[in-house]
Amino acid sequence: MTDSLPSSEAKQARASEAADRAFRWLTAAMALAVLVILGATGFSMFWGGRLAFQTFGLHFIVSTDWDAVSHQFGALIPIYGTLVTAAISLIIGVPASFGIAFTLTETAPRWLRQPLSVAVELLASIPSIIYGMWGLFVFAPFMAADIEPWLNDHLANAPVLSTLFTGPPIGIGMLTAGIILGIMIIPFISSVMWTVFNAVPPQLKESAIALGATRSEVMMKVTLPYTRNAVVGAIFLGLGRALGETMAVTFVLGNAHEFAKSLLMPGNSIAAVIANEFTEADSPIYTSSLIALGFLLFVVTFIVLAIARLFLYRLGRIEGARP
Amino acid sequence: MNEMPHTSLPPAAMNAPAKMRTRDLSFFYGAREALKSISLDFLENQITAIIGPSGCGKSTLLRALNRIYDLYPGQRAEGEILLNGENILSPGVNVAYVRRRVGMVFQKPTPFPLSIRDNITFALGHFERLSKADMADRVEEALRQAALWDEVKDILGRSALSLSGGQQQRLSIARTLAIRPQVILLDEPTSALDPLSTNKIEELLDQLVRQFTVIIVTHNLQQAARASQRTIFMYDGEVIEAGVTEEMFMAPRERRTADYISGRFG
Repeated sequence: MTDSLPSSEAKQARASEAADRAFRWLTAAMALAVLVILGATGFSMFWGGRLAFQTFGLHFIVSTDWDAVSHQFGALIPIYGTLVTAAISLIIGVPASFGIAFTLTETAPRWLRQPLSVAVELLASIPSIIYGMWGLFVFAPFMAADIEPWLNDHLANAPVLSTLFTGPPIGIGMLTAGIILGIMIIPFISSVMWTVFNAVPPQLKESAIALGATRSEVMMKVTLPYTRNAVVGAIFLGLGRALGETMAVTFVLGNAHEFAKSLLMPGNSIAAVIANEFTEADSPIYTSSLIALGFLLFVVTFIVLAIARLFLYRLGRIEGARP
Repeated sequence: MNEMPHTSLPPAAMNAPAKMRTRDLSFFYGAREALKSISLDFLENQITAIIGPSGCGKSTLLRALNRIYDLYPGQRAEGEILLNGENILSPGVNVAYVRRRVGMVFQKPTPFPLSIRDNITFALGHFERLSKADMADRVEEALRQAALWDEVKDILGRSALSLSGGQQQRLSIARTLAIRPQVILLDEPTSALDPLSTNKIEELLDQLVRQFTVIIVTHNLQQAARASQRTIFMYDGEVIEAGVTEEMFMAPRERRTADYISGRFG
């Protein structure tokens, strides 16, 4: 069709079409680069850990051994510690973040909203090494002196809870690390939550109020369903951070390669093992095992995110297809 | 259930008793006075249309009538709003109780992100303890009243967000009707809808006014002329003229009313 146009216009049209095509290719290349980098990172860690995988096979994942002297390595303890501390952090971080977001969007007086939201954002800007030092020098002694003796006194006879929450009050351990992680992920979860809560159309809330709903009912039945995807996304953002957090947990987790049912006992996490032991890795199999651990963290995180996607997908389907 | 034949005749009594009244009602957004000492009667089983240029306070008046403004700090009303003779602005009044009697439908459809059925049971659950069967009956009753039943009866479990705009608005109305209010406030309920859906809603109002008192804010003068028995013209926070719709459109008493309805300003 451009043939019938005057030549200058046709030229212009061709030029802008070419520019558009170039723009699309450029942006597509950037999007593709993410996939390439992700794939390359995963592969290079797998490659670095191949000696460990070759030597120990699948046993690497289920073994609790970690013996640098006899070159026996297994990943179960760090994987377990990573998952447990991340779970504790969610149990603490999610309700707290929800409370913060609810208060900020619904009930806090106007003059308090700004300072409160800035305070939460500042929490996010504290470097994790500071959390680690604070955890080691301030929070762990507090746990040892006050919280853990109390737990030992009061939960000694409770079923299940006595297994989890009693033990030597040494301060450092999985519970302490989980709590600190919980504090660390609060700003990430709560800031996303309150942003999306604020994005709910006011008329939607007003209609619910006009039908006699209270503010908490509006939150549970209107705001949360409306923002469900983003809220679950926020939680998994926090979880992703909790799984990979290194410095803070390295300080307070205790670096113990032993399996413990009690959360008061020291443990280890994948990131903490790597941070603690990389400089000491004096044999190829040791180094390779640490890199293999990194690869497993990659896999664990991927699985967790995939589960989140699946969960959202199924929720959406249930909602759409209910008879 | 309540399928009544559509007629264009206005419901009987033109001088019905007043269902709601305002007495010297003033309204403030912070220090700004948006309503200036308004005294009005809203007659029972009639449609009262509130017209006026943007910013004249017509939506503010509507928002005062069921105290939805309570949500926002800094907004307050002075004077009296009487519902069945009782002042709903007095301190001891239970706001949820007021809102159960004075329902509200907004400009844009506001379906909750729930199933069609749950959009209606959401409202019911706040005021009544109903058995499952009763609940189902009430859902059907409300959807029939809102002339939506035939379109959704087989898809009650589907998300309300999957409905068309006009259907969503009728669902919003059904939700309001489900709690059996006495007065229904509508804030430009058709301004976001196509002509066909608008038509449906206007027909619906004709039906509803037999059971309810209807107050509608509208930008659409034809709609006010078509659908209402009484009209209130507001300007700059004051009531300029209020009376029987036909008289007001044929022979307005005030100069400003005449100017507005003939399109000279606003």
